[in-house]
Amino acid sequence: MAAKTVESPERNRPAHVGELVLPLLLVGGFCLATDLSQWFQSWPGNRTASANLIAVALGDAGHLFANHFFVKADAYFHSGFYPSIYDNRQSFQTPHIAEDSGAMKGQNSGDETRFLAPPRNWIEAFGREFYPSVHTHLSEGGADGEEGVGTVREILPWLKLSAELDPKRVQTYIVTAYWLRRMDKPDESKQVLREGLKENPGNPQLLFDLGRLFLETQHNPVGARKVWEAGLRNLDSLPLADKTNVQNRFSQEQILAALANLEIQAGNTNRVLDLLHQLKEVTTTPVAVEKWINDYKSGKR
Amino acid sequence: MPIMFQNDSQKQSGNDTEDVLRVEHLCVEFRSREIRQETKVAVKDLSFRVGRGEVFGFLGPNGAGKTTTMNVLLGFVNATSGEAYLFGQNVREPIARQRIGYLPELTYYYKFLNAEELLRFYAGIFRIPRNEVERRLDSVLKLVELEHARKRLIKTYSKGMQQRVGLAQALINNPDLLVLDEPTSGLDPVGRMKVRAIIQRLKNEGKTIFFSSHELGEVETICDRVVILHEGELKEEGSVKGLVDKYQCNLEQVFLKVIGFQPEQL
Amino acid sequence: MKNIRLLSRVVLKESIRRKDFYVLFVVTAVITLVMGSVNLFHDNQIVRYLKEICLLLIWISTVVIAITMAARQIPAERESRTIFPLLAKPITRTEVLLGKFFGCWIAVAAALAVFYIFFGLMAMTKEHHWPLTNYFQAIWLHWVMLGVVIAMSLLGSLLFSAVSANVTISFVVVAFILMLGRHLDKVALQVGEPARSLLEALFFVLPHLEFFDVRDLVIHDWPAIHWLVCVKATAYGFAYGAFFLVAACLCFRRRPLN
Repeated sequence: MAAKTVESPERNRPAHVGELVLPLLLVGGFCLATDLSQWFQSWPGNRTASANLIAVALGDAGHLFANHFFVKADAYFHSGFYPSIYDNRQSFQTPHIAEDSGAMKGQNSGDETRFLAPPRNWIEAFGREFYPSVHTHLSEGGADGEEGVGTVREILPWLKLSAELDPKRVQTYIVTAYWLRRMDKPDESKQVLREGLKENPGNPQLLFDLGRLFLETQHNPVGARKVWEAGLRNLDSLPLADKTNVQNRFSQEQILAALANLEIQAGNTNRVLDLLHQLKEVTTTPVAVEKWINDYKSGKR
Repeated sequence: MPIMFQNDSQKQSGNDTEDVLRVEHLCVEFRSREIRQETKVAVKDLSFRVGRGEVFGFLGPNGAGKTTTMNVLLGFVNATSGEAYLFGQNVREPIARQRIGYLPELTYYYKFLNAEELLRFYAGIFRIPRNEVERRLDSVLKLVELEHARKRLIKTYSKGMQQRVGLAQALINNPDLLVLDEPTSGLDPVGRMKVRAIIQRLKNEGKTIFFSSHELGEVETICDRVVILHEGELKEEGSVKGLVDKYQCNLEQVFLKVIGFQPEQL
Repeated sequence: MKNIRLLSRVVLKESIRRKDFYVLFVVTAVITLVMGSVNLFHDNQIVRYLKEICLLLIWISTVVIAITMAARQIPAERESRTIFPLLAKPITRTEVLLGKFFGCWIAVAAALAVFYIFFGLMAMTKEHHWPLTNYFQAIWLHWVMLGVVIAMSLLGSLLFSAVSANVTISFVVVAFILMLGRHLDKVALQVGEPARSLLEALFFVLPHLEFFDVRDLVIHDWPAIHWLVCVKATAYGFAYGAFFLVAACLCFRRRPLN
């Protein structure tokens, strides 16, 4: 007699529940993805639209790092002699690389060499032997006393990195372009300003610097005029609130003064006076501009 | 052919009755760091001696205090009270271990070295002269049958091979006293036979051997004298023949009687 | 002394046969070479950023090597039970500890030599000069500092039961000292009591590892430190190293090994 086969209870279940659930889950997932993707595209926090890997990876933290590397460039400018966050930073509130370039208004006060107060104990005194403790600028020889501005090149990597991390920070491009100009690299300087304009279209500061580059380095007054007038047009098109902010006002002042000088050299008297009158309305020193107008009219300038 | 070398400058020509090992009122207590945990007494007032040329069995059930006593003899643990001496030197002095060889129960050696490098390292610690080292290396490696694997890293060795490396390092300094902690533990029958043969040869050469083992059959065959420990105390001591005659049974049954084990408990 | 030498040779062999150092060196070299291949305004003489990145990687790598090597010496011996056949020989625990220390220190010296040769070659290709005195001082002070770190880690391996705890704490302490050690007294001035007294005491007690960090001087081509200052720093490092080693020896001597 054949042995009776005992059937497994599992075989009696409704067949293959797992095989039905899996496709259902897949379909549900696809439907949800389709529905959510439209919302995601319009979500402000969506960073995938950016082609910049750093921007995607760091998000808003990029601004912090950008500032850190901008300050690092200044530390390199001083050959490592730089105050920490625990030192007196009154003479380093505005990075000197920016102050020298005119990109930022200087807020420094006090002696640059005095942030290191006299050592309080022997450990502090001894410790100063092991890090830079003498004030130098790379543009004036640096630690090794090399003549000329050649070693200023060492700040460039950090400025480049700072610009990559925060492309909207205009000062980075201006400072970089300034020092490249000082190093007799006009093409590279122009390239930097163009990159800045790509990220910040029509920015008057950048346009002013570009025009200055055309005029001073490439002796191209036509190019300079075009760029400066474009800057003025962009400023005019700004909303009133933006037009009257300090930086834009300052940029407008710079462009108007530079254009006025250009037109003086070209001998376009009416244009000169028009520009000077516009300058007088926006400048913080209208008395000086008034004197300029009078001098020009009397032929002294 | 003798395993070791007759003209060894490290040998001391001492009194034949000199005690190689002497333990006097040894006590070892372990205090727990945790609050309200009692102090554990591992060894209580233990005293015994091992004479030159003896094969001495150190017996006891698990937890009797054998390993703790050995740890004290080898300097791994400090005794709470009492003293122990190797060749008249206090065991706390490193020089006391100059003439001993130790084979631990669990044999682990530097896996990134090969057998030759390991033995050379230990030979250096024993200050074996350079011209002597090569001869001893060849001799012990031949004895433990590891000549073919002397250049291989120890991490590639089987358990049996590691045990043999252990025996080689215990013999490299031609010791006067061999301390063996369960020398046949984990070995297959062939391996056990080989170790027994080596012990017998060493005995024939007049070496003193101090070893602990649970293999009472081989203890009865090899040992001259034994002590039996139980719960940290010395319960019985004497020659194997004397104990067998005293209790009128084999050593295993002597052991069970001494520790108070009743077969009816099973 | 012979036992110490023998044991240090064993430690050195282990470090050579393990792969940690090679991986760190390759990572350092690859990152440095990649960073060096970046075109920066068509100026191939820009070198200081590269020196800084390379030196930072060297410092991180060597601190990792020193701490992880030292932290596992005694615990690994205990876990693998190799310490028992070792101490059953006529060797003291102090010799074992010193052997481990010198073995780690020599291994780290070899690693430093390889790293700094790479650094020197990399810098020379851009700078076209080789300030040997500065580099020698940098290597020497770095090595002395790592000696202190190794001694500290060895002590930690005897105080902490887990290797991972010792490694983590050692890293945190070293990073804290290197980043903040110099500024502790300034921070103390800005807090009230009793924190002020604690910080000031800490400032004077902890080993100022930043004395040995002359990277800024090397990066920015400052002149070499006066030799007397170097000697004083070395003595300072040796004093702290000796302190940690003595403490470790005292801990190890009393420790039961069962």
